[in-house]
Amino acid sequence: MSKPVSLSAGVPKIVLVGNPNVGKSVLFNALTGAYTTVSNYPGTSVEVAHGFCDLAGLRYEVLDTPGMYSLLPITEEERVARQILLHGEVHVVVHVIDARNLERMLPMTLQLAEAGLPLLVVVNIMDEAERCGMTIDLPLLQSRLGVPVVGAATARKRGLAEIRAALAAFDPSRRPVFAYASDLEHDILRVAAQLEGNYRLDRRALALLLLQRDEEIQGLVAATEGAHHAKLQQTVNQVIFERRVDLHLRISLERKRICQGLLAEVVTQRTGGRPSFAERLSSWSMNPWTGVPLLLLVLYFGLYKFVGEFGAGTVVGFLEGTLFLEHLNPWFIAVADRFITWSWLHELLVGEYGILTLAVRYAVALVLPIVGTFFIAFSILEDSGYFPRLAMLVDRLFKAIGLNGRAVIPMVLGFGCDTMATMVTRTLETVRERVIATILLALAIPCSAQLGVILALLSATPGALLVWTSFLLLIFLVIGLLAARLMPGERPMFYMEIPPLRLPQPGNVLVKTLTRMQWYFFEIFPLFIVASILLWAGKLTGGLNILVGWVQPVMLSLGLPVEAAAAFIFGFFRRDFGAAGLYDLQTSGLLSPVQLTVAAVTLTLFVPCVAQFMMMKKERGWMVSLLIFVFVTAIAFASGWGLNRLLLATGWLA
Amino acid sequence: MTCSFCGREIPDQPGRAEPCGSCLGGCRKVHCPWCGYANPLLPDYLKRLQQPHKKKE
Repeated sequence: MSKPVSLSAGVPKIVLVGNPNVGKSVLFNALTGAYTTVSNYPGTSVEVAHGFCDLAGLRYEVLDTPGMYSLLPITEEERVARQILLHGEVHVVVHVIDARNLERMLPMTLQLAEAGLPLLVVVNIMDEAERCGMTIDLPLLQSRLGVPVVGAATARKRGLAEIRAALAAFDPSRRPVFAYASDLEHDILRVAAQLEGNYRLDRRALALLLLQRDEEIQGLVAATEGAHHAKLQQTVNQVIFERRVDLHLRISLERKRICQGLLAEVVTQRTGGRPSFAERLSSWSMNPWTGVPLLLLVLYFGLYKFVGEFGAGTVVGFLEGTLFLEHLNPWFIAVADRFITWSWLHELLVGEYGILTLAVRYAVALVLPIVGTFFIAFSILEDSGYFPRLAMLVDRLFKAIGLNGRAVIPMVLGFGCDTMATMVTRTLETVRERVIATILLALAIPCSAQLGVILALLSATPGALLVWTSFLLLIFLVIGLLAARLMPGERPMFYMEIPPLRLPQPGNVLVKTLTRMQWYFFEIFPLFIVASILLWAGKLTGGLNILVGWVQPVMLSLGLPVEAAAAFIFGFFRRDFGAAGLYDLQTSGLLSPVQLTVAAVTLTLFVPCVAQFMMMKKERGWMVSLLIFVFVTAIAFASGWGLNRLLLATGWLA
Repeated sequence: MTCSFCGREIPDQPGRAEPCGSCLGGCRKVHCPWCGYANPLLPDYLKRLQQPHKKKE
């Protein structure tokens, strides 16, 4: 393992640690002045700043470490920050925390303290916290933490003298201990008692890191313990196995409980302790009784009104109906009639499946406005911090279908693009969860363009949207429940720290929307042209007619007109291309309300598009992806057939 | 860059600003190392629009 670069051996070291954006660098500059060195940590591209400061006549070396969230590292930056703590002779570790967010910051303070590091806590950004109406009882926090605590606003040079004084008078012998629940303590002790070597970190902290499978610590312990290591590892494995369901969750919740105890009566709000509106809205959004109505409001205004009615109705109506069909397409055709004498080229450019009359129209006039409005709504929700709350809200429901709140990430991303969401399923903890999420994405999560077109088409037919939504929800839950019952495997718990709810920034929303639209357009445009060329070639060679002939009996069994076969063939190229085909069918007046609903349900459930299938193959392998493909196709057509029978028998939507 | 899902700061590293190549069709995403959320990788010309809102340490 590499060792940190030190500018001067023998000089006591002050190491600044903390989350990103808490003011570490400002404090570092204030302590060290102008003479600092920035160098890469050996073997990495991570920069560490070094400098010196003089306190009470003594010279200290000061290190500004990269931002870290936990002593259990995930990024290279966190790994480097921990290396410095693990291997350096540290006189004092200054943990800089944000006064506005003490509950999120203190778990790391706890980890640093339990690691036995000589700790001084700087509660920074006090000015902003006071502006928010917060009062922090620093002496009370200090007495509870058992380490020196200094309040500061380093950007305003407030508290710098107190920090210098605390550093100069620092007593490294103070080592507080915080107790976890007795069962967890028992397991920590089982492991810690078997550690016999000499370590810089406290044995309790090492035991916790070993139980969380920290590879670097495993290597360090293996090298230090020698022959004794096998027995130790056996104990670690035993505890991990016994607690395989909830170890990480228990550790996180225990730390949260301890921090809440430490902070009780430390932080008070000026407004008589009443939580702010943002805090109340945050808790409403996670409580099932208030969270579900809030979610329905979000879906109604965000998806139905904005994407469905405005994007897919008003904007598409203008771009597709007025601009393309009334002006551009007749002009393209007139120009082609005049200048292009070869019929094959005429057909390729402005024919039934022409690049200009079909591919460009679908991409620019149909899909882009829908995904554009969808991405605006998506970016507003994303920037407000609603999605992590949604994860907490649906956690219980998702557990019933073999997933947990973490699966909200791929599911939410799936409404943007299922291909990308399929890749994100790799962030789920177990193979079982990944397979279930992949099935549900392929089956029941429509992508943004498909969703927008379907919302626009179905909202014009009373009851059709309700049938489509209820049916898809039913399929999602039934298949999820069945998958959870039939597939063996563990069910990991879900826990995440919730970032603050915030007012979306128009600049952020605009930039994220434009970025997503640009990416989406660059992706779909060439594919739409390729699809258009393939359909043209199929028409020219007669291959398309053969394909349509194969699909026609299926269409008839679903009660759909034979012309619907083309939309299903389009849908295999891309989901949004298929939805656009459905849009053309409906605007041509070829579908009754029942047929429209059956076609929309079947097309939504229908096989994943080529790109999503390739991603499934990449993530899950040929065998699983082919099985999912066959399963999804069968479910889609069986559901369409069943729904058609049900609607005809009951007379709903007739 | 801050993760739009978990709110954590995604460190700038050489290579991280490049697409990972896993998405078909050339997606431009930065995956959060903590939660896995796919954050859009902002083009330089759009980043300028965000500058006034950027927090400085």
